[in-house]
Amino acid sequence: MERQLNNFISVLRNLDVRISTAETLDALGAVELVGYSDRERLKRTLSLVLPKTADEKATFNRAFDEFFVFEDIRGEADSGSSNGANKEAGEQDGGGEGEAGGDGGEAEGSGERAEGSQPSGKKSKSKKKKNPYLLEEEEEEDLGPGEMADAQSPLGRQLMQNSRTELTVAMAAAGEAVDLKDIQVFTQKGLYTRRIMDEMGLADLNREISDLKGSPQVPERRLGQELKGRRELLREQVRDYVERQFLLFADSTGKRLREELLRKVKLSNIEQRSFRLIQEIVYRMAKRLATMHSRRKKVYKKGALNISRTLRHNMSYDGAIFNLHWKSIKVDRPKVFAICDVSGSVATYARFMLMFLYSLEEVMPKVRSFAFSSDLAEVTDLFDRNDIETAISKVLHDYAGGSTDYGQAFSDFKKNCLDDVDNRTTVIILGDARNNYGDNKAEILKEIYDRSKRVIWLNPEPKNAWNVGDAVMRNYSPYCHQTEECNSLMHLERIVGNLLKTAT
Amino acid sequence: MAKTQDQRDKIAGSVTELQAGFEKLQYICSDQIATAVYLAYQLGKPILIEGPPGVGKTELAKTASELFELPMIRLQCYEGLDESKAIYEWKYGKQLLYTQVLKETLDEVLQGAKGFEESVNRLHEFGDIFFSEEFLEPRPLLKALREDNGSVLLIDEVDKSDHEFESLLLEMLSDFQVSIPEIGTVKATGPRPLVFLTSNNTREISDALKRRCLHLYIPFPDLELEQQIIHARVPEIPEALRRQLVTFIQELRELDLKKVPAISETIDWARTLVLLHTESLDPELVRTTLNVLLKFQEDIENVGPEISTLTAKAIKA
Repeated sequence: MERQLNNFISVLRNLDVRISTAETLDALGAVELVGYSDRERLKRTLSLVLPKTADEKATFNRAFDEFFVFEDIRGEADSGSSNGANKEAGEQDGGGEGEAGGDGGEAEGSGERAEGSQPSGKKSKSKKKKNPYLLEEEEEEDLGPGEMADAQSPLGRQLMQNSRTELTVAMAAAGEAVDLKDIQVFTQKGLYTRRIMDEMGLADLNREISDLKGSPQVPERRLGQELKGRRELLREQVRDYVERQFLLFADSTGKRLREELLRKVKLSNIEQRSFRLIQEIVYRMAKRLATMHSRRKKVYKKGALNISRTLRHNMSYDGAIFNLHWKSIKVDRPKVFAICDVSGSVATYARFMLMFLYSLEEVMPKVRSFAFSSDLAEVTDLFDRNDIETAISKVLHDYAGGSTDYGQAFSDFKKNCLDDVDNRTTVIILGDARNNYGDNKAEILKEIYDRSKRVIWLNPEPKNAWNVGDAVMRNYSPYCHQTEECNSLMHLERIVGNLLKTAT
Repeated sequence: MAKTQDQRDKIAGSVTELQAGFEKLQYICSDQIATAVYLAYQLGKPILIEGPPGVGKTELAKTASELFELPMIRLQCYEGLDESKAIYEWKYGKQLLYTQVLKETLDEVLQGAKGFEESVNRLHEFGDIFFSEEFLEPRPLLKALREDNGSVLLIDEVDKSDHEFESLLLEMLSDFQVSIPEIGTVKATGPRPLVFLTSNNTREISDALKRRCLHLYIPFPDLELEQQIIHARVPEIPEALRRQLVTFIQELRELDLKKVPAISETIDWARTLVLLHTESLDPELVRTTLNVLLKFQEDIENVGPEISTLTAKAIKA
């Protein structure tokens, strides 16, 4: 059972619940105390020890329900818990009767046997499994009770013997053979289910079933029906098995893989359907930066006595220490002006940069943002009034679409808010500097450069394309403190991280 | 008569026993809560309790101390709380006073000493008397460790304290000891204290702290449980009214409010209604007593138009 618990914990970890080794030990200790016999109690216990936030608790509840259902099925093979043992006994009984019916020719109806081989101990699961069974029964001709022929194919024989242990072992072996542990995304589940079935000898079984169906002899036809029903059962079990393995091995590796990829991939290449995941990543990155930098501001409040300053300032009081001065580190929160080109080619980047900046609200409360393609306008209050997503789509909807004119944009900026730029302001410009051969007005950028603390130009294009065609990066770059290629989340994170660091 | 250790062990012997014990003290707890206390007692681990305000987080610790008949030591957290207020402090006044008094005897001690070195050596023989137990002022955490029969330690609203304070707690919570540089490490003398930490989630508690605790989330109770709680706390309320009242509150929690009424507000309201000799809810009465439940004018105004429908629903239930 300890192994099961470990498996469960690794499933939880896959679901992004952080569980340390110490907590695993705690869980083992706690479980030792309450035991495995009562499922609800086990759940309550583990939910106290393992998940440590409300979100994690929800994940935990879901995972527990899923995971320990599988446990029941496997329990039959292990005969580990008393529950499982009961079920197995029931199962064997049913199976035994079935065999007797086949061999000894006892009058035992296949319909009845279906009931018999699903003893009441199976509870909810049995209902689900019986369904395909009953369906078959209705469609097929009613052959009545009677003798049944022996199955010929190896898988058929195994099914008719109904030996769970053997089937489970065969299933596991087949899983091994088709490298089930390499399963990566959930869409592969069907594929792997079929592969395992094939590996277990589905082809032979199918052939036998179709042969039997056409057989003139009643016992053989009866066997055919029986096999068909059991094949469905098996298929369901294999699917469960794959599902479980998928939960164990794949879900997270797949997700992690995608996240890793998404961090590095060019933002313009990201497909629409990955946006949700991207957003998650952005929030997580932003949160990390926020916690990293929010601690810093506490430092400001404390501080040691600044002796030299105190003495110097108190000289006028004849050396009596009257007015104390403290060493304190003043943390300047960066004042950020983000100027974003939202014309077609750069829009996606603008989207993610704005998302990033506004996710950092906690540590950077003073972000003002401007959007332009030709005319520039301030969009800060859009973000104040709406949530980030809506605001961004509104911005893109309202301002995107014109042809880019950096000259015009800079003139607008100068007219509207150059006066607000002071020596504590960081100006971030996001754009490809493709000016459609218009007047680039680099002199305005120089003015901004002179007034502000920093000007950072983020260009989504690779460096060697910065001056190709209508791009005029060479005119602008002298008036930037920093020019960076920025086209992936990783770049963004690094740049914003630096921004926060230099703010101290 | 105080309970002995064995008696306490017996109470904490099983979840159902605990639940019954709590119920006797008018604290109705869900299985989850009882399991948490059970595990905390058996494993000697602190419980970190989270949940909306007013669901009985602090009350749980108080009741536990009552149940086990252990002294309750409470540490209210706030911004700026540090070790001198949480763990220990030197009695500066006493130290000063003693130095003044002892100044005179100093001459006697040093009499006959030749040269500076010998004087200093003589002084050294006295050791660090000023930094000994005599001059130590224990604060809640140290006090809890020094209780001979164990204690219930409540660290209330730990989310209000600073990050640094959380780190201070770590040693205490994992090993039940605190280090005082001048004296050494102080370990729990008696049984380990039963530690409850509460948090209102105004900020994220660090992983290091969470790792050392059992994590209990107390949500708002469901209809059934809340009725039981009201029954235990305000037994004089008629059953029909109790049902109406709880249904009303449950409906109210579904609305979009600045602050949803918690159990404590439900109890207050029940008491109010009993005081007014109410038999059954009616919209006018609800309107006049709504300020017991809702603490923001904005909320009261928002709920205003809904009162009659909500009351009708509650009466039907």
